[in-house]
Amino acid sequence: MYTYNIFNDMIKLRTLFDDFFDQKPGYEASREFPPVRIKEADDKITINALVPGIPTENIDIQLADDSLVISGEKKDDYENHPYIRKERLFGEFKKTIRLPYRVKHDEIKADLANGILTISLSKSEDAKPKKIEIN
Amino acid sequence: MMTETNSKNITENRKVFHTPLADIFATEDIYSVKLEVPGVTKENLNVVIEDDELKITAESSIEENENDLKYADFSVKNFSRTFRVGNDIDRNRIDAKLENGILTLTLHKSEEVKPKKIAINQVN
Repeated sequence: MYTYNIFNDMIKLRTLFDDFFDQKPGYEASREFPPVRIKEADDKITINALVPGIPTENIDIQLADDSLVISGEKKDDYENHPYIRKERLFGEFKKTIRLPYRVKHDEIKADLANGILTISLSKSEDAKPKKIEIN
Repeated sequence: MMTETNSKNITENRKVFHTPLADIFATEDIYSVKLEVPGVTKENLNVVIEDDELKITAESSIEENENDLKYADFSVKNFSRTFRVGNDIDRNRIDAKLENGILTLTLHKSEEVKPKKIAINQVN
């Protein structure tokens, strides 16, 4: 049986306000594309970038000194029909990520799966502390 | 309005969902909906049509390990979006395709609403 409780409406109103502030686009469009997450542990850096709908040939990853540059183009996939809604953004992009230390140039791995680019980097030997023997 | 009866669940299980960006176009036969859902796999994607609502919910497959995180433009969140659909949709004919973080839904229009050419019989 349902009994009316005045607080239910207040909770519903609160939920409505919470949802308004919580439910935002998957990422903020004003930020530099692509949005990334950087993790660092045990001399290894993992970068996750959101690149939905971009094939591997349109993404370019470059390592310059201690910076990683992700660039490319997100080409539109519009079809020749009247659109009801156009929210997705397209265009060229370039993002430079300054790495905390030099990385091994020959141990860089980049995987693309489900619209997420995962770049794995490992710390270069000459960036590690080195003990110097005293004669 | 006293329409909601399961009020005890109001505050429980509140997950934060992101609204995926969408492009929608219509032709004579179909509606095509394209949504950006990076990190979503076929297994954790749900597309349900109920009453006059098409609901898409998806859980991200990125693992959350906050200890090692140094920087983040986005947080691992789940996607949810609901579209209101009219009676012109054939509910049994909805195709879904998930490719490289893009979900494409094709909603076929029902036969009754399609433009139909009426043949004229010649009577002598």
